[in-house]
Amino acid sequence: MTALNERPAVRQADASGGSAPEIRPARKSASDIALTVWSVLVFGFLFVPIIVIIVYSFNTGRLLVSWDGFGIDAFLTIFQKPAIQNAVMVSIQSGIIAATIATTLGTLAGIAMASRPGKWVGWFLVLLLLVSVTPEIVDAVALLPWLVTLGQDFGLTLFNNGIARLVVGHTLFATAVVSYIVRARLAGLDAQLQEASADLYAPPLKTFFKVTLPLAMPAVLAGFLLSFTLSLDNTIVSAFVQVSGATPWPVYVLSAVRTGLRPEIAAVSTLMLLLTLVALAFVAYVLRRAGDSATQIARTMTGN
Amino acid sequence: MRSPKFALATPAWAWLVAFFIIPVGMVIYFSFGYKPGIFGTHATDVLSFDRYVEAFSPVFFATFMNTLWVGVLGTVLCLVIGAPVAYWMAVKAPPNRRGLLLALVMVPFWTNFLVRTIGWQILLAPEGLLGGLDLLYTRGGVLLGVVYNYLPLMILPLFVAFDRVGEPMREAAKDLGAGRIRTFLSVTVPLARPGIIAGVLLVFIPLMGDYITATVLGGAQGNMVGQLVASQFQTAQNWALGSAMAVLLILVIMVTVAIAGLIVWLVTMPSRMRSRLVIGDAEANAPSTRSTPTAATVTERS
Repeated sequence: MTALNERPAVRQADASGGSAPEIRPARKSASDIALTVWSVLVFGFLFVPIIVIIVYSFNTGRLLVSWDGFGIDAFLTIFQKPAIQNAVMVSIQSGIIAATIATTLGTLAGIAMASRPGKWVGWFLVLLLLVSVTPEIVDAVALLPWLVTLGQDFGLTLFNNGIARLVVGHTLFATAVVSYIVRARLAGLDAQLQEASADLYAPPLKTFFKVTLPLAMPAVLAGFLLSFTLSLDNTIVSAFVQVSGATPWPVYVLSAVRTGLRPEIAAVSTLMLLLTLVALAFVAYVLRRAGDSATQIARTMTGN
Repeated sequence: MRSPKFALATPAWAWLVAFFIIPVGMVIYFSFGYKPGIFGTHATDVLSFDRYVEAFSPVFFATFMNTLWVGVLGTVLCLVIGAPVAYWMAVKAPPNRRGLLLALVMVPFWTNFLVRTIGWQILLAPEGLLGGLDLLYTRGGVLLGVVYNYLPLMILPLFVAFDRVGEPMREAAKDLGAGRIRTFLSVTVPLARPGIIAGVLLVFIPLMGDYITATVLGGAQGNMVGQLVASQFQTAQNWALGSAMAVLLILVIMVTVAIAGLIVWLVTMPSRMRSRLVIGDAEANAPSTRSTPTAATVTERS
């Protein structure tokens, strides 16, 4: 992740319009010091429980909360618990499928909004807004009876499948998010380049794959990763729509909260955190190769 | 020859109608029905507002107020705690460290929020490091949990907003004689407004529906509307009442956002009357282009 660091400084100097290097004030004012101290404290605050989980994944006790001794027993126990392995696999599977669907739908919608503006965009944005402001619990209670109706009354047996149900639940918010991100990425610069491509006699499909899609790529990638983690994180909708036998990881953890937390839970979380960090570093690397500054990466990720 | 403009958006539109509009529409419809006997979940042959009256009975009203208390206070705390950090990252921190700082803010954001909440449970448990604070299974504990869980969602959009204001804008304000506080209040904050609004909404809306944090850290004290809705569907099997509560939750969120917007509008009225700041095309700028606003006109009315 330290690889993120170099280019922004140069851009910053360019943006301020002069070739003069940035001038650091000789002494820092009291308010600056207070800001810095506060920020360091908040960063510490953000990491406290994560460090706790990592430390407690080496707890050899029976219960997660009471520390017994240091050891890797919890990591070894994972291999003897098929329920845990199954839950993680269900989460990863549904995460990948949900992210693929949300990214495809959202990318197409984002491209359409950016390159084909019109009155319809306003209406479509209202729909996306509705999806993104609806609390998860409402999606959850709405989807459960609907999926049962689709699967049993309408005979669409696909919706009786545990993974399919989770995927449907996880794609709603994610589709909206990907649409925003891709639209923001393409806004302003898309139309001219597409016209240029058309002027050079590229057929529409070729323009799409050779011009529009590559331009949108960093946003598509960020959208995919965001959808994937949103899916991995999803607890409320999952708890409602899940089918027994296909319990995703967060729902497994939630039931463990009620019945008693074991150190294995922390061990799995530590492993998953490692995986996420690797994935994040990879995406940051790809985005940087595509020439984005740190700020643009943040913009892309937050859809601004 | 040319396909209709919205052609590429059709799949997303169809997907969201099939799995969002129709089911949520059904929930709204159910909310006007009733629960027929012990074994039925809902019936809609007689429609009425009775479930809404039931949902606002004193028992449930207390939960609504508790949710609103946690939601509003949690959002305000996120803003108060997160804004200085976002400002520091965007303005004061060395530019070449920003990538790393952003990544650091994102790391907890990308860790399962349930697991992070369990981390707090370990710390706050009587035998934990912070056990002496006696926060576990209190409203304070719930507040700590939600502030922690939603803080990154506040910091990221605020950072982007403060960053977009740009050094030249602040320099210009100072050159025109504005002090540090004046620059912050009448240049930085108004220009960062879209980001501030985004951050507040990003935190407040999911927070109001969240009941997982409250379950883990609040125990019996952590009654949230989300929990109430869930239990009507999962244990009480009263879909009509559960649906009415879900609809009320959405209404409460909308009304609160509207009231907050109105308050902010009224409070900032005097300063808007006194001085109007017209910034070139800063707002219309495409978000992904990294241009800095060039034209700035400060109109002062005496």
